[in-house]
Amino acid sequence: MAINLQNIQWKLHLDESTVGTPHEWFRAFAPWIPDSPEVFVDVADYSHVEDGPVVFLSGHNVCYSLDATGRRNGLLYERRQPAEGTNPEKLEESFTALLKHAALLETDPEFKVKPKFLVHDVKFIVNNRGIAPNNDETLAAVKPELSALLDKVYGAGAYTLTREQDKRQRFMVHIKANAPVAVNEALKKFE
Amino acid sequence: MTTTNKQELYTSDAAKYWKEALSDKLPAEWRVNVDEFESDIALKKRGKIEHKLFAETRLRMGAYGQRYDNGKRYDGKEVRRVPFPEEFKGPDTYWDAPGMERIKLPWGGLTADQMDLFADLAEEYSDGICHITTRQAIQLHYIHIENCPSMFRRLGALNITTREACGNAVRNVSADPRAGVNPDEAFDVTPYAQALFEFLLGHPDAQDFGRKFKIALSGDEAGASGLVNIHDLGLIATIKDGKRGFKYYVGGGLGAVPYAAKLFSDFVPEEEILPLAQAVCRIYGRFGEKKKRHRARIKFLIADMGWEKFRETVIAERAILPHDDRWSSYIKDIGKFEEKPLKPAGKKLAPTGDQEYDFWVSTNVSAQKQEGYSAVIVTLPLGDITSNQMRALADVARKYVKDTVRTVVEQNLILRWVSNDDIPAVYRELKKLGLALPGAESILDVTACPGTDTCKLGVSSSRGLAGELRARLYKKGPELHEAVRALRIKVSGCFNSCSHHHIADIGFYGISRNVGGYVVPHFQLMLGGQFENNGGAFGIGTGGVPSKAVPAVVERLTEQFVAQRNDGEKFRDWVERTGKATIMQGLQDLLEVPAYESDKSYYVDWGDVREYSVKDKGIGECAGEVVTLTDFGLKAADRELFDAQLKFEKDGPAGVAAAGTMAYRAMVLAAQGLLKEKHPYISEEPELVMETFTKDFHDTGIFHDPFAGPKFYQYYQQAHAHKGAGLDKEKVQHFLHEAQLFVEAAHSCYARASLAEPAEKAEG
Repeated sequence: MAINLQNIQWKLHLDESTVGTPHEWFRAFAPWIPDSPEVFVDVADYSHVEDGPVVFLSGHNVCYSLDATGRRNGLLYERRQPAEGTNPEKLEESFTALLKHAALLETDPEFKVKPKFLVHDVKFIVNNRGIAPNNDETLAAVKPELSALLDKVYGAGAYTLTREQDKRQRFMVHIKANAPVAVNEALKKFE
Repeated sequence: MTTTNKQELYTSDAAKYWKEALSDKLPAEWRVNVDEFESDIALKKRGKIEHKLFAETRLRMGAYGQRYDNGKRYDGKEVRRVPFPEEFKGPDTYWDAPGMERIKLPWGGLTADQMDLFADLAEEYSDGICHITTRQAIQLHYIHIENCPSMFRRLGALNITTREACGNAVRNVSADPRAGVNPDEAFDVTPYAQALFEFLLGHPDAQDFGRKFKIALSGDEAGASGLVNIHDLGLIATIKDGKRGFKYYVGGGLGAVPYAAKLFSDFVPEEEILPLAQAVCRIYGRFGEKKKRHRARIKFLIADMGWEKFRETVIAERAILPHDDRWSSYIKDIGKFEEKPLKPAGKKLAPTGDQEYDFWVSTNVSAQKQEGYSAVIVTLPLGDITSNQMRALADVARKYVKDTVRTVVEQNLILRWVSNDDIPAVYRELKKLGLALPGAESILDVTACPGTDTCKLGVSSSRGLAGELRARLYKKGPELHEAVRALRIKVSGCFNSCSHHHIADIGFYGISRNVGGYVVPHFQLMLGGQFENNGGAFGIGTGGVPSKAVPAVVERLTEQFVAQRNDGEKFRDWVERTGKATIMQGLQDLLEVPAYESDKSYYVDWGDVREYSVKDKGIGECAGEVVTLTDFGLKAADRELFDAQLKFEKDGPAGVAAAGTMAYRAMVLAAQGLLKEKHPYISEEPELVMETFTKDFHDTGIFHDPFAGPKFYQYYQQAHAHKGAGLDKEKVQHFLHEAQLFVEAAHSCYARASLAEPAEKAEG
């Protein structure tokens, strides 16, 4: 089974003691709209709900959010428009975009306490039940290309991959590396 | 006929997958609708359909535009272009801009499987949020138009259609969410709501309207129930001589100017409700306004035609309708809507001593007419529920009630048929999900339309304000006086009343004011509307309040109400007894906007970080306030209108007559105020003001609202013909609303002109 990966999502978890307030995230995201070369449209505040988005930056190609789905906070990268290229290219492009934006947030002056991202604790999601049902077959199809990327970030085999077992959830892989990695360190692996 | 290669229709592998997997699971007619819509998308992408036609096509499938889809966004300093690719899905609406999908849920009915599906759709196509609307529908935001066919197929496979969820069509048929379990109802209206939905969906006689057409059904007259009074067509269940029928109302509606529905008949037997609805639709389609959108709702047709003539015309039309078996064939199947409980009946509920739980029970749990069962409201802040919450709530439903879930017009969900013995367990499960908020159907549960968050028409941040009010009120929670707790607050981002601000005890709608050269977000305060009696009475406009002062205004109003009310006096009665002048006097110190330099927070709306809008000019060299002749003129118009409303309320028939004349004068003053910038010495002479205003502000399009077009100018034009004289009480009441809207439009026009004015010219 071959999958043309689309609607890729990555969630980079946060050290919960550094999450900050929704207002800080709102203030951090808002200037991305006029200042970024990417097309962003608006910021939405969902801090009144639980187990979902907290602050959502809507974009044309990609959306970012402070996301508390699964009751863990993290930065969510969400590809909206169809992505071109091979699967390894799409995986690398999306993952490095996530890291670059995390790096921006780690130094953003809007935060009293700087957010600290846990690069060793990541979720990979294919947000499309039509092309990627949440089953072992999809995992088998995706694993080689996903592992190639993760080998580069964490070192060969220095991590575990666990597929989400709730059948109603999207295809989701929990990735835990054996050792912590800083955002900038991870980015350097792709230079 | 244009043809397309079907293979090229698929916009993605997923679209192809859903089509192949689900097409045979949709009812045949719905399948054709979706296939045709998919073809229309392909044709539009090839330039074979014009923008306007495609816009109406997608609207009829529930696919709305969303804020900034014209590619323009104000960033606090200037309007910047959002660089979407140059493809369009409607006039001035970019193809790739995120849009909103409204999904109809007749009578608000939801099964657990449908809830799972909504969770999936919100994750895959939206932002992980399902939003419950004030008409029992569900909206998903940030949708890409090309995902719609897949979404429609997935919905259709679970018996949900989006067809005619928007556009000039029969919208969602809503009903009392407690229908079938409401102790005060004559009978369960659910089967009748379903019959109306099925009969009118795609009906040829309901395809040629100038505007939308909303239907609601209610089982009882006294409760809020279905809000029949504010609908184009409304039915209240009643039994006469042992036979089921309905009190039949036509011509209600909120919008900018609220109209109460009129009683067409005090008893229409059940077999007659469909043909009579068909006749009403025919007359509305045939005689209703098609060009002037602001006069196109059926309420205006009735006003123009006259009630008796309208009624006679409908009755005559009914008499010549060709027979249709569907008119009565549904009646034999009414029994299939009877719900069966999943669990045995429980014991009567009693206080437990756990304050938090008992408070939740007191606000969110109500006894059903079936002994031993309760209906439980799941309070959703601002009508939002996340995908994971929705999925988990579906599991709660499966465990305790199965498929007896409904949406509520106050943007909540309701679980019906909960055994009383299960109430504590349901509470615990909801609490784990973050869904056990108390305060349903109370002042805590503030209703808000999407406002400036996502709506193209929003003027102020209704959700931002509602969120702030909720947060403050929840802190007080059980300590609130009982009479205050019973109040309703509803907040709309503009005059269109999507939150139903006209029938709230305390309602707000977004406006803006020019203060010292800056545009400041405000809300118009409406007091004394009535949610009960099916939305029985409308509030009165009381005055503009700076957005940032609204929480303090609510606090002051509720304190004054508690302190001044007579025993058992309702809020509406207190408002009428006290009078708006006295009430506003008591709020006066809260209405002042501090200077920009001393408190910038007033110049930023709730839930936003951008300055609402800033005129790029400093203070004039005289170092005083920049107050123009226009400022004075608009203030005079506000005052005149305020006094007109007082006259209307207080001075009997003579006051009503005076109010009409004064409201017209307020319009003249507002128009004159705007003209004074260019014609500083223009007189108040009505003909001259009208003529000059038409030339300078209407013919040039300067006055036209960005979304409502010339609507408010037309109010002025109509008023100029009668000058507020010779109108009956009902017409004066409508006219006061129109005058209010015209004056607000003058403020907005002035604000827009100020923003557009180059700094150099302003300084000069």
